[in-house]
Amino acid sequence: MPGMNSGLNVNDPTVVAAFRSALLHQGLIALLIFVVLGLAWLGLRGFLTSAARSVGTAPVAMSAEPSWRAVLRIGFGILWVFDGILQAQPKMAVGLPSQVIEPIAATSPAWVQHAVNWAGTAWSYHPLQAGAAAVWIQLGIGVWLLASVRGPLSRLAGVVSVGWGLVVWVFGESFGGIFAPGLTWLFGAPGAVLVYAIAGALIALPESAWRSRLPSRLLLPGVGVFLVGMALLQAWPGRGFWQGTAHGKPATLASMTASMAPTPQPHLLSSWITAFTGFDEAHGFAVNLFVVVALAVIGVTFLSGRPRLVRLALIAFVVLSLADWVLIEDFGFFGGLGTDPNSMIPFILFGAAGYLALVSAPEAQPDGAVATVSERAASWQSRVRATLAPGSLATASLGSVAAIGAIGTIILGAVPMAAAQASPVADTILAQAVDGSNAPLDFAASPFQLTDQNGHQVSLASLRGKVVLLTFLDPVCTSDCPLIAQEFKQAGQLLKTDARRVELVAIVANPVDYQLGYTQAFDRQEGLAGVRNWLYLTGSLPELQRVWRDYGIAADIEPAGAMIGHTEVAFAIDQRGRVRYEMGFDPGPGTTATESSFAAELSDTAQQLLASS
Amino acid sequence: MSRRVSVGVSCAAVAAAVLIGACGSAPAHQAAYSGSVVPVASMDTSLGGAAGTWATVLMGGSAAQHNNFWQLFFRPAGTSTWKLVTPPGTADNGGLVLAAGAGPSAISAFRPSQDLTFTPLIQTSDGGQAWSALSPLDAPLASTPAALALESAGSGQLLALTTASTAEQASPKAGKWTTLASLRTLGATPAGRQCGLRALTAAGYLPSGVPLLAGLCSHPGVAGIFADRDGRWQAAGLTLPPSLAGQDLTVLRLVAVDNQTAALLQAGNGSDSSLLVAWSGPAAGQWTISPGLELNGAALMSASFGLAGTVAAITGGGTAAVITSSARSWQRLPALPRSTVTLALGAAGQPDALAVHGSTLTVWQLATDGHAWTRAQVINVPIEYGSSS
Repeated sequence: MPGMNSGLNVNDPTVVAAFRSALLHQGLIALLIFVVLGLAWLGLRGFLTSAARSVGTAPVAMSAEPSWRAVLRIGFGILWVFDGILQAQPKMAVGLPSQVIEPIAATSPAWVQHAVNWAGTAWSYHPLQAGAAAVWIQLGIGVWLLASVRGPLSRLAGVVSVGWGLVVWVFGESFGGIFAPGLTWLFGAPGAVLVYAIAGALIALPESAWRSRLPSRLLLPGVGVFLVGMALLQAWPGRGFWQGTAHGKPATLASMTASMAPTPQPHLLSSWITAFTGFDEAHGFAVNLFVVVALAVIGVTFLSGRPRLVRLALIAFVVLSLADWVLIEDFGFFGGLGTDPNSMIPFILFGAAGYLALVSAPEAQPDGAVATVSERAASWQSRVRATLAPGSLATASLGSVAAIGAIGTIILGAVPMAAAQASPVADTILAQAVDGSNAPLDFAASPFQLTDQNGHQVSLASLRGKVVLLTFLDPVCTSDCPLIAQEFKQAGQLLKTDARRVELVAIVANPVDYQLGYTQAFDRQEGLAGVRNWLYLTGSLPELQRVWRDYGIAADIEPAGAMIGHTEVAFAIDQRGRVRYEMGFDPGPGTTATESSFAAELSDTAQQLLASS
Repeated sequence: MSRRVSVGVSCAAVAAAVLIGACGSAPAHQAAYSGSVVPVASMDTSLGGAAGTWATVLMGGSAAQHNNFWQLFFRPAGTSTWKLVTPPGTADNGGLVLAAGAGPSAISAFRPSQDLTFTPLIQTSDGGQAWSALSPLDAPLASTPAALALESAGSGQLLALTTASTAEQASPKAGKWTTLASLRTLGATPAGRQCGLRALTAAGYLPSGVPLLAGLCSHPGVAGIFADRDGRWQAAGLTLPPSLAGQDLTVLRLVAVDNQTAALLQAGNGSDSSLLVAWSGPAAGQWTISPGLELNGAALMSASFGLAGTVAAITGGGTAAVITSSARSWQRLPALPRSTVTLALGAAGQPDALAVHGSTLTVWQLATDGHAWTRAQVINVPIEYGSSS
């Protein structure tokens, strides 16, 4: 998928160090937000409580949060916090597109890959901001859910959970793989984060719904329908689940678990998965039959709505889900770059919440209505009055304050990411990861007089008054030089009106193919022929050799059909003809992200020199 | 939950599962390709002339194209020692295409690979001891050893076939390329229509200096060789025997050596295919044609050319044969040494077998009795693995 992968090593020390530093700084800011809010709350509480006493405001009576909602809110709050912590893994900044998003999307249809590629590219262009945003948004949602028990803030937490959950489900999980072949409940279909989003929607239900039968009608029957559907899918022939092996190799389920076993994890877990793989290879039909029957029976029992049967089915569902979580999903976060504990824990939470909703459902009202309009209006009016009353601030709970802190944490992560996305170019951290930081220098650039691609003589002195970005390119290079040329071209585009004051200059670095015809052919190849501030200079071999020597450029003929070995470097020369920066310019993996990053680095350097003149 | 609701959601579950199952188990799209494949000569080849023999072979140690490098070797006439003379300056992973000139001169084209899209050219006049760059061809050269031809009668013109099915001509020193013909323009000529020209496959010159282009005809029994007569493309006058009347014919190579041009043709398809050589005299219209070498369903692996119109061929079945314009019959060679990629013909028509293993070239010479190969030379080539990555 073009653009998605920055091509850098996931352990790249430059990016990892920058990611840690960003998290540390943002973490301190988040802590400060909580401390300030806490102190303000304590101060206001002391002041307003006494004021409220003098006014004599009566506390507003509120109904207790139902147990099913508490299970969803606390359970998914903890999951979001856990996911946020997983997002803080050092490898995540570089690794998420290449090791999480791309493999998941690989088997999905082209239109899914296209959509996912957009997000992967956005992430790979700004790995620090994106990585940090994922950490703080998920931690923030988790803390928000945990802290905010009721009221508009609590419902809003559910809405935000839906929004972010859908973003992760679509772009991070490729729609949970529902459009890819091999979809099965055993592997986590329809995607763990979709379950987070549904839970968020239930948490966002108005309080009037808490007292209705809606939750009992939605939760457990919903899970039941889903499980029956998954049982049918599991039973569907021709998908490789009815065999343990196929053509002497592990079939669908066994091959999946076999691939999980060797990944880094405690030996005990690995041995369990290996044992299960062997068992499934030997008894594939029986394993699938058991799964199909179990899912169908549990699903139908959930649909029956009989509490005693449902209790037994729930126990069976928990056991089945835990077995799947350990033996097939490998806890979700072992083996590679885990971002969440996968789907089984969310399913268990859903099942438990559904059971609680069923057993605590109120009796049906005669007219079937949840509440009359006048009742709803009254409760709305009383809530507004309660909120506007001066004493309400004094009675604000610590949880509400923590929820506001959590919102601040989400904003803390989201704003830098949104700001980064406004820029069409990649972060310069990628270029620095490939070639290190720019080396600041200050010495007079060696003069040269060479011939440009149009046959005109050009000297360095004739470019005085402009910033010169200088590099050395082999016109017949098959790999790096075309990339570097594109980086220069992009840098020129980024400079916009400043491009008039910047000259993009390359000098031939090939002792064999240095004739004018080669610079012209290279320009046509790279689409540089029409770039006004682009110069590709050449000369006689002695002239070129003198320039190479002056700028420390090697241009060596390699034997046996290899291309010319030459130094890949760029110099930034200021308006007074002084070399101010030397930049390593090996384009590295040459992805669109690194290419854009190098272009941004060139452009930034030129603008810095223009500003300092 | 009411019974009606339960039934409804159950139906929905079934429908959803069917839908998802159908999505999940949809068979992968299988592309169909109904077009016939144009036979292409292997890039492993050799060219023998009065001053010596050139050979280009693919060497390397990895299946990755970036670690496969083409090497050029030269054996001066009168010697039995090969030298590595691979031209410098450009990564040659895409292929080296050689056009031999008079004496020890030659021009080599580097077929572009990776991000390179034009064709660098380089020439030598001393058997590859020293090379100097020529102006490049601003297009990718076609992937066949027949894509480049050098006129050695006097004008020194170069003729090149591009991947865009055009024929470009230039004086190497001037470096200004002009389009001589294209598949479309050639196909629109009376000769092209008679042939039903479908592809351009080879470029060459008659010994008189007349440019030749050749291709694949869709009309059976017609050999698509065209000569440029004062700017008008006409059939080059190769008339085929009646036995080939119903056969598809593809011209694989056009090589001018020693005052004659040899055209290598493949007749027929599949198990009925055979190789033919047609030799022209100095002018077009005077062709003689060899008997066929049955390929028995195998592909041509390599073809080599030498003095006196000698042509050597290696087929996919591991057999090799040689023919000269005077003998007019194919002479089978003994079983080739393992990993032989091409044959190289000496002045007397005696072949060397060039075998490649990784970065090692082993030269095998045919014993004087013509029954066995003896190892004559081993050359270890200092390949820079990873240099093109």
